Amino acid sequence: MIEVRGLSFRYPGAERDALHELSLEVRAGSLFGLLGPNGSGKTTLISILTGLLRPGIGTLRVGGEALPDRVRAVQAFSALVPQDYAFYPRLSVAENLRFFGGALSLAGAGLAARIGEVSAVAGLESFSGTRAEHLSGGLKRRLNLAIGLLNHPRLLLLDEPTVGIDPQSRQFILAAIKRLNAEGATVIYTSHYMDEVQQLCDHIGVLDEGRLLAQGSLDELLRAHPGQRNLEEVFLHLTGRRLRD
Amino acid sequence: MVTLALIRKEILLLLRDWHALLLLFVMPAAFILVMSLALQDRFAEDRGVSLSYYLVDEDHSAESTALTAALAASKEFKAEPAQAPLPELRAAVQHDKVQFLVHFPPGFGRSLGGDAPLAMQMQAGPGVEPALFELFRARLQGFLAQLDLQKRLAALSVSMPDVDAGARLLHAESLYSAGARPSSVQQSVPAWLMFAMFFISIPLSTTWVQERSQGTYARLRSMGVGAGQLLLGKLLPYVGITLLQVVLMLAVGMWLVPLLGGERLQLGDAPAALTLMALAGSFAAVSYALLIANLVSTAEQATIFTGVANLLMAAIGGIMVPRFVMPAAMQAISLYSPMAWGLEGYLDVFLRQGDLAMVLPWAAKLALFGAVCLGVAALRIRLRNQR
Repeated sequence: MIEVRGLSFRYPGAERDALHELSLEVRAGSLFGLLGPNGSGKTTLISILTGLLRPGIGTLRVGGEALPDRVRAVQAFSALVPQDYAFYPRLSVAENLRFFGGALSLAGAGLAARIGEVSAVAGLESFSGTRAEHLSGGLKRRLNLAIGLLNHPRLLLLDEPTVGIDPQSRQFILAAIKRLNAEGATVIYTSHYMDEVQQLCDHIGVLDEGRLLAQGSLDELLRAHPGQRNLEEVFLHLTGRRLRD
Repeated sequence: MVTLALIRKEILLLLRDWHALLLLFVMPAAFILVMSLALQDRFAEDRGVSLSYYLVDEDHSAESTALTAALAASKEFKAEPAQAPLPELRAAVQHDKVQFLVHFPPGFGRSLGGDAPLAMQMQAGPGVEPALFELFRARLQGFLAQLDLQKRLAALSVSMPDVDAGARLLHAESLYSAGARPSSVQQSVPAWLMFAMFFISIPLSTTWVQERSQGTYARLRSMGVGAGQLLLGKLLPYVGITLLQVVLMLAVGMWLVPLLGGERLQLGDAPAALTLMALAGSFAAVSYALLIANLVSTAEQATIFTGVANLLMAAIGGIMVPRFVMPAAMQAISLYSPMAWGLEGYLDVFLRQGDLAMVLPWAAKLALFGAVCLGVAALRIRLRNQR
């Protein structure tokens, strides 16, 4: 689904690359955990994959389409669920879904049906008339996810989708992501919760200072780093204990 | 489809923002009402109409009648019916309901021209400015001197000389060159309308800053919504809202101000010129708002920048202080403010029988200003998206 070869990217005015000669492969149908400390380049990579940033040096293919030339085609089958509550607090759940559906050029009965489907996936059916600003943290996360599902994405990019919510909502969202993946969606999942990534992802990539330090299944990563008992230890072994903020 | 969704969203957001609605509709309506009514007399004076006075004639002589007629013929002064007793009339003047009280005591006419003439009484309210007090007193003194002289000469069987010769020997003109002067409602409606239209940048910027900071803007871009669609999705609904401001503020001037005792706003006879001014003003105000929205980083910056910039444009542009009371240098400077372009265009229509051709230069300036703002905003979006 994703092939990245020798990708480098530097923000205007920055002294070093945000991504440096990065190569990465994510197969279709995978649930890929992308890990890295703050500032490691995760968000930059996701921004490039979703067409928000133009790649610098290197080649990228997403779903067989080359970026940045075929960015519209990639955006048609992919969706970004940002870490922020990227919706309108003063609009209700239904109004938010209707608006973002309209922004995706969905309309009429098709849009109404799709709103019903994504509301069911995110468990939002009873809250359609509630203004987003009045939702709990967990419901806001679920609305954020639901908006990302409106275009039936084959590639779903989730940027820390469970930050700041209670265990019940977290388990609900993780189960929904697993279900979407089982139905065929490729998922890129970034998180700082190692247990979540360990529980959810079939492949994991560890990124730091714009470089991919390791990639593989959890078993492969543990085998490659003897003495490390779990993902968190592998992560700290690779990225060090230096504070990044 | 996408643009329609964007327009619908903007309208829903604005309808749920009570602060913005108050700012865009209630604030200018209140300004128009207050300023039209409060400055009614002030503007009337500037147009040569009526300072009001009570006249009580207890003398009923030929002299008092002649003086009453002379005063009534002055275009600057307007007699109010004086039916109440003298103390009540004096109290009304004391409370500035009427500016002056003139009283001819019994025997006034008979004593005129004699050795011990009986003085006519003149009193002014506490709110009368010294210059106006002197004007009224000088006018009365002139009439009295003429009557006194006439009576004295008549006693000597000498005919009265031509007392108007002085007027013929003096050529007096005002160097004011900005055309006819507006009434308070003619000034207030377009002035505060332009002021309020430029305040559209507060709700527009706030929404756009929130979209950027909350990730909604990035999400929309990741969905394939282009910068042009985002700009159009803001421009169209907000132009619609500013046009609604125009309609409502004109309605305030035409119906609400007269209902409260003010003068009715006359729209003139050029609906096409009025429409052109409304469209050009709306485009300029919304494009300016789009520029601010893309220059600032926070909603606070947008509010402060809009407040300061709008107050400056209003102060310079003849919104707060009408251009016709400004000195010539300030009148020239004022024409650099987009608010002045809008105001002068409207005044051309309301006041100077302006047609499409007459307002075209003002509309063109506003449209050009809007186009430049929009262009810079688009450039700014492009640069920001590349980061």
